[in-house]
Amino acid sequence: MPTKAERIDRLAELTAARAEEGRGHGVWREAFDRLRRNPMAMAGAATVLVFVVVAVVGPWLAPYSPVAQNWGDEVFPNQNVFVGPRAENWLGLDNLGRDQFSRMVVGARQTLLVGVVATLLGFSVGALLGGSAGAAHALGRQWGRRLDAVLMRFTDMMLAVPALLLAVSVAALLGPSLATVMIAVGVAQVPIFARLLRGAMIAQAGRDYVLAARALGVRTRRIALVHILPNSLGPVLVQGTLTLATAIIDAAALSYLGLGNPDPSIPEWGTMLADAQRFLAGAPQLAVYPALAIIVTALGFTLLGEAMRESLDPRVRT
Amino acid sequence: MLRFIVRRTLQLVPTLFGLSVLLFFWLRQLPGGPEYALLGEDATAEQRATLRRALGLDDPLIVQYWRFLTRLAEGDLGTSLQTGRPVLDEFALRFPATAELAIAAIVIAVGVGIPLGYLAARRRGGILDSAVVGGSLIGICTPVFFLAFVLKVIFAEHLGWFPSAFRQTPGFSATRVTGFFVLDGLMTREWDSAWDAITHLALPGLALSSIPLAVIVRMTRASVLEVLAEDYVRTAEAKGLHRHVVRTRHVLRNAMLPVTTAIGLQTGALFAGAVLTESVFAFGGIGSFVYAATQTRDYPALLGFILIIACMYVLINLLVDISYSLLDPRVRVS
Repeated sequence: MPTKAERIDRLAELTAARAEEGRGHGVWREAFDRLRRNPMAMAGAATVLVFVVVAVVGPWLAPYSPVAQNWGDEVFPNQNVFVGPRAENWLGLDNLGRDQFSRMVVGARQTLLVGVVATLLGFSVGALLGGSAGAAHALGRQWGRRLDAVLMRFTDMMLAVPALLLAVSVAALLGPSLATVMIAVGVAQVPIFARLLRGAMIAQAGRDYVLAARALGVRTRRIALVHILPNSLGPVLVQGTLTLATAIIDAAALSYLGLGNPDPSIPEWGTMLADAQRFLAGAPQLAVYPALAIIVTALGFTLLGEAMRESLDPRVRT
Repeated sequence: MLRFIVRRTLQLVPTLFGLSVLLFFWLRQLPGGPEYALLGEDATAEQRATLRRALGLDDPLIVQYWRFLTRLAEGDLGTSLQTGRPVLDEFALRFPATAELAIAAIVIAVGVGIPLGYLAARRRGGILDSAVVGGSLIGICTPVFFLAFVLKVIFAEHLGWFPSAFRQTPGFSATRVTGFFVLDGLMTREWDSAWDAITHLALPGLALSSIPLAVIVRMTRASVLEVLAEDYVRTAEAKGLHRHVVRTRHVLRNAMLPVTTAIGLQTGALFAGAVLTESVFAFGGIGSFVYAATQTRDYPALLGFILIIACMYVLINLLVDISYSLLDPRVRVS
């Protein structure tokens, strides 16, 4: 799987924070300043902020219980009778007579949780793999190159299976549950994080400050952990932000495939969207609300991630 | 050049071997077991045990893997537990449907994406550019299966412009040659049959093309912008070359290099997307089968399909890589 791997490597190289270019203050500070002046970044950040706030305070914001079928006698999906938005139910009722607005607001939390846990999982396992490979490649001698080669063949293997199919096979292995979705989506992101961090670390290892540290006799492990690693995190953080968007979308796809959260007492946008497909002709709004929520949230993370990438490396302005 | 191709091809061997081991052990760990899927919940423990023995599921894993590998070497990927037919046959049977769908999606993505990305880059900051950038971001963020459903409800069920399911109108008598319905229609000169197949491809193809389209547009735009800033473009313009010549020979040709790679990489997304779109339109290709295989715990079929898809994905990218190196001599050196 050389091409995809190489592209990730190149991305890592391009976006790796360049330590020697800080004028007086650090690259991070400079990148943050650039980010603040970018309207796209601010729009993305605002969206993400709203999403996070709703996710945190959601249960208190919801006027009704998201699971109680309070108006169950008003909705008859079989006869195509649905209740749209009205004064007491701002977004109408779902197919079981539950308040759609409450479900949306409470669902934000699970959706965020799935995205964050999946991303953290992909990030930590990927960073462990990629960090070891990068450090070994950059600082180890022959054994280091070998360890790197073994680890990278492993990630190549994972990259050879399209991400969603990888997630599907993991989900099939574990059986449908909310944890499954997190693990499946997270695992699919592992090789990307690994490849990215490795590439960034190798790019950093060639810099003068690493040579200086070596010449000064700093121990290899310390160079890897204190000097190279922090300077290589830029592209990985960018990827993490973008992955939050992918994770939410992929989680919805798994729900659609019947591999998602089977517990009806936990509303979650992906499951809501998947369930609402059955009523798309009669009650399109049931699908449109969660779909819009997913699209807007994913858009927020994507805008923020793209802007972060740009601000870390002004050369890749697109 | 030959060395480059050989080296690249050899790099695939450990990847694919490792993948087969990984997937084999992975899929064996699935909960339940195929005997439940085959016999249902009511079968007695004895019946299950007999079936497990018959399928060789009680042997040590390493023995099972060895059996799998020797068969693999003979081109035998095992038997689907769902249908009792060879996995390779099942794949071959469904491949034309998905290939046709994927080609339709790529044709839409490339045909629309490259011109749009190019125009957006030429008019950077304009209305078209903003629309293209915004639209492609929204495209990437929209769940494919939702888009498929929306297209189906609007254009098939409400407006009735396109059929809502299958690859051909049921009861349509058409001569089958290759399994590629459009191609069959063209080869046998049954134009109405070809057209019928094309109309069935339109909506699923459009849904499937959303992500590749967004990626290709963004890639083309970024790449054209990069090339436009190159010195050789300025030089070409300065020495008075005709604008058309500069655009096609200098800008487009160089800008297309990274886009080719992006197109190759999208084949993976197409297979994954097929799982989501095919079920919406009851398209009956690989995607629908993969979904059914996960539901029935049809290990051999799932393993076989994923292995074939991974091989194809890797091979397609190898071809892209080689064509890339033909287009850009710099690649061969590194």
